[in-house]
Amino acid sequence: MNILETKGLYHDFNRLEVLFDVNLKVKEGERHAIIGPNGAGKTTLFNVITGTYAPSRGGVFFKGDEVTGAKPHRMVRLGMGRSFQITSTFNRLTAFQNIRMGVLSRRGIRFNFFRKVDKMGDITRETDEILKRINLYGERDLPASALSYGKHRSLEISMALATDPDMVMLDEPTAGMSKDETHYAVELIRRLTEGKTAVIIEHDMDVVFSLADHITVLHLGTILASGPPDKIRKNKAVKDAYLGEMEG
Amino acid sequence: MNRRVKGIVWGVILVILALYPWLFGIYFTNVIVTCAIFALFAVSYNLLLGYTGLFSFGHAMFFGAGGYATALALTHIEGCPLLVALLFGFLGAVALALLLSPIVARLAHSAFAMLHLAFSMLMYTLALKLRGITGGEDGIGGFPIPPFRIPGVVSVDMTDPLNFYYFAMAVLGGSLWVAWFLTKTPFGQIIVSVRDNAKRVDYMGFKVPQTKAIIYTLSCGFAGIAGSIYAMFQDLISAASFGIAQSFAPIVMTMVGGVISFFGPIWGAVIFAVIEELTTRYTERVQLVEGLILIIVILFFPGGFIHLAAIVKGKWLGFIRGQWFGSIKGKWFGKQ
Repeated sequence: MNILETKGLYHDFNRLEVLFDVNLKVKEGERHAIIGPNGAGKTTLFNVITGTYAPSRGGVFFKGDEVTGAKPHRMVRLGMGRSFQITSTFNRLTAFQNIRMGVLSRRGIRFNFFRKVDKMGDITRETDEILKRINLYGERDLPASALSYGKHRSLEISMALATDPDMVMLDEPTAGMSKDETHYAVELIRRLTEGKTAVIIEHDMDVVFSLADHITVLHLGTILASGPPDKIRKNKAVKDAYLGEMEG
Repeated sequence: MNRRVKGIVWGVILVILALYPWLFGIYFTNVIVTCAIFALFAVSYNLLLGYTGLFSFGHAMFFGAGGYATALALTHIEGCPLLVALLFGFLGAVALALLLSPIVARLAHSAFAMLHLAFSMLMYTLALKLRGITGGEDGIGGFPIPPFRIPGVVSVDMTDPLNFYYFAMAVLGGSLWVAWFLTKTPFGQIIVSVRDNAKRVDYMGFKVPQTKAIIYTLSCGFAGIAGSIYAMFQDLISAASFGIAQSFAPIVMTMVGGVISFFGPIWGAVIFAVIEELTTRYTERVQLVEGLILIIVILFFPGGFIHLAAIVKGKWLGFIRGQWFGSIKGKWFGKQ
């Protein structure tokens, strides 16, 4: 079953067409990588799916329901998490508080004016468990801005997963990471997305081929090819447009 | 500080405040009521600035709305009870905030600041021009201050400054406590997240404009309570309470006291009360001194008094533990 589907998606910025008839199908439970050269429209596709802006034409379907143009907070409540290419955390809050926002959100604790948040034992426990799983418990009380780059990226990715979404959209999770950090992040993503659907934009082909069950190649705003990694590797059009350019 | 020390400190503060009028006389009692009014006003402002990251140039309009609502209620409603008049002040400010929030909750940064400047100027002009209601330049004054009465139990005369002191301090202190508690709730966590990164708050599943509208309305309500007490305290409210100077008072107090802490603006209010008390003995140019202090704070202690106090405390603790001396030694004689 397709958990996410876009039908004939178009998007333009002041008539500059960025997405052109995109029909993306993401099956439930798979790790789906979206690759493509710079400017192919990958992040725009993410933005249109997650509700940053509505598409100019076409529809987005999540879990079978049309959600075209739904705002980000609504998408999150429907079970879609998202992380960002440019790290976007709450910088003056601690790692703990950053993750706790996700836990509060998942439990629907929003406009609660009558209890101290620090006294909510179950929230604290759940948040601490997540911090341990992502290996940030040692940095629990450091402000996000004081974390090392790799840890800050881990926090960024984990915030998207703290709301316990059914599907998570990761926009270049390993952007700017060193080899070691990338290796660690891949393992983290593998672990955290166990049993979930993940859509990942990625430039690093090693990461793509080690993580993804399915790859979609975006080129000039439209889907060039989509299929399992082996097929994509052999696809001539993809080689010409993208992989070839990278390999030689 | 552990729980016990905190309890003792607050106990001592309460006892001092309870005995204050007897210790310092009626003049300084009035000084501290004014100071407490501005402390609540500044704290309400900091809920927007420090906690939610919303910078406003027109917070005085809610102070003024609270003051006028209370003054109008006491002038026109025969036998209006004290607490009802206070409630009118609170609701007056809340009503104005609810009216503006659909517009301002979608704004941030300079648009938010300037729009508030515009709205507060509008309120100022309305207060001057609608003479029939607001009394124009004279404002509304000389309205009766009703006693604090619980029917059949107690009736306390509020024209007695001593009684009014206890009433005002209870209301202002209670409001400060509620505001403080608010910052500790899950909602308080969401507003600081909005300050840090509103886009991400949306992507964590929270509605940003609604969150802003709620904290905005609550903040304005607290400003309204401050204005209401001010009107009853002075037995007068005038257009000046909508003015620019009135809008800048909480900004300056918050900056000087420290935007990073809940207690910063309270310290700011206290610092300005002390400065005003000291300078008026020598000169009328109070603002000159206040301006100088603001410049010094912005240039050298951008975190305000609270930040400075934390640094001094850290140095002092370090000094006691010998670390400071050690570091000096290291600097002067090289590390051994």
